[in-house]
Amino acid sequence: MAPDTRYKAVAGDLVLLGRAAPQPTPLPGLTAAVMTRLSAVPPPVVATTPQHVLRRVVEVVATNRRRAVAVVTTLLLALLATPPVRATVADWFGFAGVIVRHEVTPRPSMAPPPPPAAGATTIEQANALVAFGAVVPDALGVPQGVEVSADRRLLSMSWTGGRDGTVRLDQFDGRLDYTFLKVARADKYTSVAGSPALWFDEPHEVVVLNPDGSSRTETARLAGHTLIWQYGDTTLRLEGNLTRARARTIARSTTPLP
Amino acid sequence: MRGGDRDAYAELVNRHAPVALRAASLLGAGPDAEDVVQEAFVKAYRALSRFRKGAAFRPWLLRIVANEARNLHRAAGRRAAREQSAWERTAPLLTAPEADNPATTALSRERRAELVEALARLSEKQRLVVTCRYLLEFDEAETATVLGWPRGTVKSRLHRALRQLHDELARPETAALEDDDVHRREVGYGA
Repeated sequence: MAPDTRYKAVAGDLVLLGRAAPQPTPLPGLTAAVMTRLSAVPPPVVATTPQHVLRRVVEVVATNRRRAVAVVTTLLLALLATPPVRATVADWFGFAGVIVRHEVTPRPSMAPPPPPAAGATTIEQANALVAFGAVVPDALGVPQGVEVSADRRLLSMSWTGGRDGTVRLDQFDGRLDYTFLKVARADKYTSVAGSPALWFDEPHEVVVLNPDGSSRTETARLAGHTLIWQYGDTTLRLEGNLTRARARTIARSTTPLP
Repeated sequence: MRGGDRDAYAELVNRHAPVALRAASLLGAGPDAEDVVQEAFVKAYRALSRFRKGAAFRPWLLRIVANEARNLHRAAGRRAAREQSAWERTAPLLTAPEADNPATTALSRERRAELVEALARLSEKQRLVVTCRYLLEFDEAETATVLGWPRGTVKSRLHRALRQLHDELARPETAALEDDDVHRREVGYGA
């Protein structure tokens, strides 16, 4: 801690001195007071230059540098359209492996139910195939479909015929694997067990990007209500005709496989 | 301001309010820390356009907090008076014993008083760097951002501050002798 061992004792005492000082706790009204004052502030304007965009793209894909160049070309135009403040705030939360692009293009008001996972493997078999620790939401019970992508990076499960209709859960190691590109008009911040989560309550496009950054066209489809959150390093994406409350309940019930 | 942005920013405020308050109270705001932090969050929002993409939010926010805490003392007049005014708000927090805090008992009341007196004799800049690095336990990079100094400046000021504190403070009798001998030999040339 001290730059020099001779000063270790005094440095250590200074740390203790700091810890002994009263720890102020924020008054309950602090956040509300800030937000009230901000409601009168016009949103800050950010000049979105190509340099900004480039930096952001590199940051988004920093977990997987080798695909950065391809992603830059894929997303350059998309990011130019991203409201800058929003993009900045989303970066701070860092949903690994998810890029959200905002667009005002009208969408159909209804999305088809998500495609069920096709595979006939069991959760245990699937968990053994992927390199990350798979998780299951207990609220949904045993999935009817379990599928692992050919490159073993994406694990999908689906439930059909229950009270929720068709529900699909995709999971991947957010540190290095897939990138979902979501094109939506708006998304909302919510939380799952105290951690930030993103909620999409309008139909939106979703595309799975290849590890090299190109989009996998066969995966492009219209998605309905979707909740995105993280469990440890695993990024989860839950889709179906769910209310936000129900989606959060399902998300909160997530536990790792033994 | 859009609904989603508001929620997201409120989440940032919630998350960083505790460390911001603590920093404000020890960097000169004292009992006005809550006002300083509120002001800092409003300014941070307004200044989002200057925020460098890819940088971390916390050190940047804390730099605004540190500036706001120092701004409280602008009315005190000349620089020496301003610095004195800031320290007068901080020192009581460091000497006031807090009954139910286990860290309080880790140092004797005498040792705490000694440390605070020695801190008072540091220059303002040395006190700032010691406050960030040790009292608030920021790492070196964060300290550099919060104070707006180059890393090298943080290192050198911190080193000089520690040397001065070390020299002024009575050391525990048993450990003092050997260390002091080494120390005297090394600094002897410049003394």
